[in-house]
Amino acid sequence: MIRFWFRGLMRDKSRFLFPFTVVAVGVALVVALVGFMEGVFMGMIDMTSNLDSGHLRLVNKAFYDEEHLRPLDRALANQRETHDWLVKHSSMEVDWAPRIRWGAILDVPDEQGETRSQTPVVGIGLDLKSPDSKEIERLRLKSSLIKGNLPKGFNEMLMGIQLAEVLDVSVGQSVTLLGQSFDGGMVADNYQVAGLVRFGVSARDKKMVLIDLADAQNTFYMEDMVTDWLGYFPPSTDFDRYEEVKHSMSASLPDWTPPKDWAKDDFPIVLSIRDQQNIGAIMDKFVVIKGFVVGIFTFLMVLVLWNAGILSGIHRYGEMGLRLAFGEPHWKLIMTLALEGLWIGILGSVAGSLLGGGFAWYLQEVGLNMGDNFAQSGLMINDVVRARVTVGGFVQGIVPGIFASVAGTLVASLAIFQRSEANLFRELEAG
Amino acid sequence: MSETLITLERVCKVYQVGEENFTALNDVSLEVGKGAFMSFVGPSGSGKTTLLNLIGGLDRPTTGNVLFQGANLENMSRDQLATYRRENIGFIFQTYNLLPVYSVYENILFPLILNGLKESHVRKRVEEMVAKVGLMDQINKKPAQLSGGQSQRVAIARALVKDPLLILADEPTANLDSENSRQILELMWELNREYKAAVIFSTHDEKVTRYIRREVRLEDGRVSWDKRRNGTEAEP
Repeated sequence: MIRFWFRGLMRDKSRFLFPFTVVAVGVALVVALVGFMEGVFMGMIDMTSNLDSGHLRLVNKAFYDEEHLRPLDRALANQRETHDWLVKHSSMEVDWAPRIRWGAILDVPDEQGETRSQTPVVGIGLDLKSPDSKEIERLRLKSSLIKGNLPKGFNEMLMGIQLAEVLDVSVGQSVTLLGQSFDGGMVADNYQVAGLVRFGVSARDKKMVLIDLADAQNTFYMEDMVTDWLGYFPPSTDFDRYEEVKHSMSASLPDWTPPKDWAKDDFPIVLSIRDQQNIGAIMDKFVVIKGFVVGIFTFLMVLVLWNAGILSGIHRYGEMGLRLAFGEPHWKLIMTLALEGLWIGILGSVAGSLLGGGFAWYLQEVGLNMGDNFAQSGLMINDVVRARVTVGGFVQGIVPGIFASVAGTLVASLAIFQRSEANLFRELEAG
Repeated sequence: MSETLITLERVCKVYQVGEENFTALNDVSLEVGKGAFMSFVGPSGSGKTTLLNLIGGLDRPTTGNVLFQGANLENMSRDQLATYRRENIGFIFQTYNLLPVYSVYENILFPLILNGLKESHVRKRVEEMVAKVGLMDQINKKPAQLSGGQSQRVAIARALVKDPLLILADEPTANLDSENSRQILELMWELNREYKAAVIFSTHDEKVTRYIRREVRLEDGRVSWDKRRNGTEAEP
């Protein structure tokens, strides 16, 4: 029987094409929009976590409390022991990366060795030279390199492209870092610019330099010390997993026998990305906004499909009457209408997913360059905004699409319940 | 005397129209035998359609009983009445009421599909009905491509295809010209003889009365005349 009615459905353009188009367009918009929102949001999260926060972070509380001052004297010593503890008490899936966050004045000398230009910079010391380090890949440094090479030799640095332009520095040039060492003394160390990179975030491109971790330890007199340990989960790990591992590690911290070179008041804490830079609140708001967007689209689809169902009901008034007169029970009639709604919902959702997913995929692969808009902003947003195609995005489009189609049809078919058989002869004679 | 198919016992049907009560049927008692070929005749508002409604299980009497082969329709639920119609009654309407997106073949198939039969099992039966009403060359056409007479033939085949015990035909010739009316009535007469399904017309059409074997005239909701003609089958 279902095949018989579906045959009619597919032939009757007025009752198929309109709801199909509504569902397809609605689902396409939701899938594309969710993909775009996820992409922008996850791009921000990735950018923040890759450079700054990690998914998890172990840091001395004293450093964290004053991190804007980059208090290197509150770094954590004993790298190996700390790494061993992290591996043992976190999870096999987490990759731990040591970092040194520092701040200094970057001085560019002229041919006579006098200052030609100078600016404060923020820097990160990270493992750029070990063969098993994932930092280059994590920060996409190879693809971000505009000129020159990645650091290979002693005291080489990568510089943000806009910073290099401001300072009028080119690859191969020597620059001097003027800062404060671990023990509070003054530091002046020469570096050679190995490469210029575009981080893809204007704020970084203007102010950031990267040096190898060992060079940073040498420059700032921080042998075997780091300011941060950043932990990275594999891509697409659920945020809840971050919290789970963080809580498990935090529970283990009191039992940790401090390594021998730690200061008495060193007190490490474990943070997830949610705990840093107000990201947790932003994440929660994002989920609410996303739910809102999906909800609004679903509601609008239900409204339109409800009306489409009513129009279809008028269009098929005779058919419904005939089916009731011929002995099709009301519930069965409504069930076949619901199945029609389901069928239209599925077909429309598939078409909409292909359309919206295709658009989101294009934005994921090619991206949308919004560098000009972000140039004046300090936001950690990629200049090239990319969507992200996820299974969740499809689910958030398809489920409301199917629901809207079935719900719209059912709401519209309520009139069938109220239709009295006693009037069928007159109604059918009226044509 | 043929076996009784339908029995109406002192049936009254009262409708409320605004604050007034309108008596559509008043104390009607009738019996209709199997294989009957009869008509309800009368002016508009005489109760013909109400009577068809009650016999077809589309409405319930205010008082009195409608029995189908001894079973009281009053005791049936809405779903049971739907089953009763689906299994026993064929309908023919003045305006044909064919499903526009389906072909001639599919329109005739439709009642069998409602009865849960598979198309592959009943294809022959449907084709046989199409042939009976002389539309084999139109079998794949849509209703919009048919004339009025052809459309009514499809409606007749659709009513007969499930082999019902009773066909209710409400003004089946009202939209047809004389020639087509004559052909339709002859076809129904032949099919009545062949398939033995009782046929009850509701009609104004004088031409119909030439073919039927029993004429029940209604006036103001009452049976004013129940005339039986000599035929091969005696009416109760």
